[in-house]
This record gives sequence, C-alpha cells and structure tokens, in this order.
Amino acid sequence: MSQDTTNASNDLGWDPTDPHGINPHDDAHEGHFVADWKMQISVLVILLAFTVLTVGFYNLEQWMETAFEITLPKWINIVGAMTIATIKAILVAAFFMQLKYDKALNTFVMLFCLFCVALFLGFSMIDLGSRHLVDPERAPSIVPGGTGVGLNAASADKDFSLILSPKVNTGGSNIVLYARLHGSKEKPGLLYYREKGDEASFWKKFYSGHAAGRDTLDEHNFYEQLGFATHDATSDANASHPRHGLTPGLFSDVDPAASSSADSQAESQDDGH
Amino acid sequence: MFNKPATCFRVEKGYDQMTMIDTDTSGVPARILQSPMHWRNAKHQSHWRSGDEEFDAAKFGMWLFLSTEVLLFAGIFCGYAVFRMLYPEAWANGSHALDWRMGAANTAILLFSSWTAANAVRLAQLDKQFWFKINILITILCAIAFVGIKFTFEYGIKLPEGKAPGTFFAYPYATDPHEPLWWSLYYIGTGIHAFHVIIGAFLFAFVLWRAHRYQAYGPTQYTLVENSALYWHIVDLIWIFLFPLLYLIH
Repeated sequence: MSQDTTNASNDLGWDPTDPHGINPHDDAHEGHFVADWKMQISVLVILLAFTVLTVGFYNLEQWMETAFEITLPKWINIVGAMTIATIKAILVAAFFMQLKYDKALNTFVMLFCLFCVALFLGFSMIDLGSRHLVDPERAPSIVPGGTGVGLNAASADKDFSLILSPKVNTGGSNIVLYARLHGSKEKPGLLYYREKGDEASFWKKFYSGHAAGRDTLDEHNFYEQLGFATHDATSDANASHPRHGLTPGLFSDVDPAASSSADSQAESQDDGH
Repeated sequence: MFNKPATCFRVEKGYDQMTMIDTDTSGVPARILQSPMHWRNAKHQSHWRSGDEEFDAAKFGMWLFLSTEVLLFAGIFCGYAVFRMLYPEAWANGSHALDWRMGAANTAILLFSSWTAANAVRLAQLDKQFWFKINILITILCAIAFVGIKFTFEYGIKLPEGKAPGTFFAYPYATDPHEPLWWSLYYIGTGIHAFHVIIGAFLFAFVLWRAHRYQAYGPTQYTLVENSALYWHIVDLIWIFLFPLLYLIH
C-alpha cells in the first residue's frame, strides 16, 4: 500500500481494504493544522498589551479620582474591562485553542455553551430586576453603607470568630413561613390578623394559602375543624380545590384496608373475580 | 514503510501542513525507539477506524468537558452579578481590598504559560522533542508560580487579617455587613480556579514524564498534549474574566 493511500481518499470516509486501520499510515494525522510560531507570539504580545491596557485604564481612573476628584460613571469601568476581557478570550480561543482552524463542531459546542450561560445569567437578572412588579415588598433591597448589624454581633464561637447574621432570626422555622406570619413594614403578616380577629378566622386565612408548617403551629388542629382535611372536593374546569396534608388514613390506628376488606371481598365476588 | 527520506516533510507557513511519520530518529536510543510507548509504535485503539478519528473524538470530548467547566464557573459569575447588584458597597470595598499588582502578575504568568502550552503542541507535531519538553516544563513552572503568588501574597496576607469567607470573616474595619459574602465568592472563585491550575500542572507533569521517558508524543501521537493544552487554555480564559471582575471593577 502506498503512502498516499489514506482513509480520506474515497467517499466512504474509511478504507474498505483496511477497515480496522491496520495500515499505520492512517495514524498520520495528515491535514492537521500546525500553528505558525510568528502568529502565536504575536497573539501573546497582543494579549499582554491588552492586559497592560486594562490595568492602565483602572489605574488612570483611580488616579483621576484621587488627584482631580473626577469620578467616571460606573458603567464605563465595567464595559471597558469586560470588552477587553472578551477580546482577549476570543484571541485565546481562536488562535491558542485553534478554533479558527479546527472543525466547526468544536466552535459550535462552545457557542452553545455560551448561549446557555447567557440564558442562565439573563433570566437570573430579569428575575431579580422584576420581582417588585409582582410584589413590591420583594424588591431587592439595598442599604446604602450597610446596616452594620452583622459586625456588632457577639461572636458565637471564640475559636473561629464566628459571626452569624442576626438580621432575621426565624427561630428555626423556614423563612417563607416566617415572612407570611410576621410580614414586613409595608404589609402586615398573618399574626396581625390573629391579634385582631378570632383564632378560627386566622387559621382559615392561614390554610386558604398554603398548609406549610401546620403540624408545628396548629395546636387545636383547626386544619381539620375548618374542613381543610377533607378530600371531598375535586378540581374541575371551573374551580380548583388544592389538596393539602396527608393521604387520609395514612397514620390512623384503624387500617382502612382491613376494615373495608369484607366489603371489597363482597364486591369482588359480585364482579365475578 | 519507514524508509522514505525526510524530504517529504514540508515546512509551510500557515495551515494544512502535512505532518510526517518518517522523522530522523538517529541519536534516539533503541531502548526508547523500540518501546511500545514511543509515538511511532503507539497504535490507536481497535474500535477506531483510524488514529485521526480517535484524535477527533478525543478532542470533541475535551470540548464537551470544557463547556461543562465554563458552566461551572458561570454559576460563580452569576452569583457575582446577583450579589453585586444587591450589595454594591460590599463589592466595591472588597475589590479595593485586593492588590491589582498580584492579579496582573498572575494574568501575565497565565498568558505566557498559555503560549508555551500552544508552543508545546506545535513542537510535538514537528517532533522537536527537546523544545517540546522545555515548553511543557515552563508551563508547569508558571503553574507553580501562579499558585505560589496566590497562596503567599493573597490568601496568606488576607486570611490572617480576618478577610475570610462567610462565617469565618473577622476583619474589624469592615464597613458593610455583606463583605463576608464578597470574600466567600472571592475564595470560592479563585480557589476553584487555583485547583484547576494544580490539576493542569499535574496533567503536564504526566505529559512531561512520558515525553522524557518514552518520547511518547510526536507528529502522529499528541492527543494528550493537545487536550492538556486545551484544558490549560480554558483555565487561562476563566482567569481572563475573573481578573477584571474581582480586581479591576469596583
């Protein structure tokens, strides 16, 4: 077999006379890109120049701020630094990682990955930036200068100077339930209605939302008294009846299967099984 | 088969250069030349039709892995963006507490080592064993320098000052209660990155040992060199974004 015979010399993409590649010339990696050293070193110089540029821009900005009290808008700092970083990243990917000369599939994999990253970051930002449109109290809060609460707190562990954030102490319950009960400055929580109204109306309001945490808080089992434990109502097209709590009879002493076994046996005999 | 003269080797500037199998092996000890590990004796796995297909598949798999690496760091970048949006004061304070000179030095080190890694791939393709090994060695030394600077001049100075992540935070002159969050993100981001640098150094050390012991990498056999270099470049890429985000944007 001559040296010119390669697996790419026919339309099949492989050599029918040598299907398992016994011929060592198939390993020759013919056509693989070998980078030019001049290109590589010029890419390195450009990358280092961009690094000097972005660091210089940062220092120029700091100097202007301290010497002349000129404060540039924040976005200039961010956009400038990230643009330079993106250019550097493209240079590294295209020339050092040889995406420019490689199969398009590899570029596609990376671009699809970056698309996913954009979705990930984008939707997170949209979520955070639009919560106040749904519920004003859920707007991300910014305290200028900070509250300083965390720093004055006593150390919980002397060995590690452990400082727990004491801003909200939920007493061990989950934060969602805590917020529903205690509310905020703008919107009173459910405990406010408990003070004003009777116990039953409070629990009615409580269970008309979610039944989270009912086992720990509902001492008198208003859940069942107010009829929330029934599973009679089924949802239809016009009304939705959410089902709360456990499956009926799951933890009761009487085994529903055992008590109704006689009936079911009778039914099954009627069915002829 | 191997008797053809070395004149078929074309050195061309640019692309599509044929790599060759008939290299000059005079001077290579028989112990290395006859080793099954030597690049000329290495054979692709039997389930591939050719070494080319094996190489392409390995490289494609590496790119898939690199995309998951990008997604891993995307979580950190997303956390950075969200908390920066919520607590800009803490982020400004934290950024000012970092020394940009160390970050810039580490950037230069990583860019330079990326270049030596790319060089190593080219030199393996051209069967220039000595300079190939030198470039791999420089890359490893750069990795050690990077981690050394990070641990000695950054972590080693900041941790005793109390600029520690999360609940370990004990810096007495902090002005914002969310600064522990910044330090958590700083240590997680740079720590995972430094861990990747260490992994890359071990990869290159393995490559260097095999190259030195067996001449395992050459024009027809350089998959691990290529993939290690790709890994190293993605580590470099992530640092290219981490550096301005942590040190320069305030």
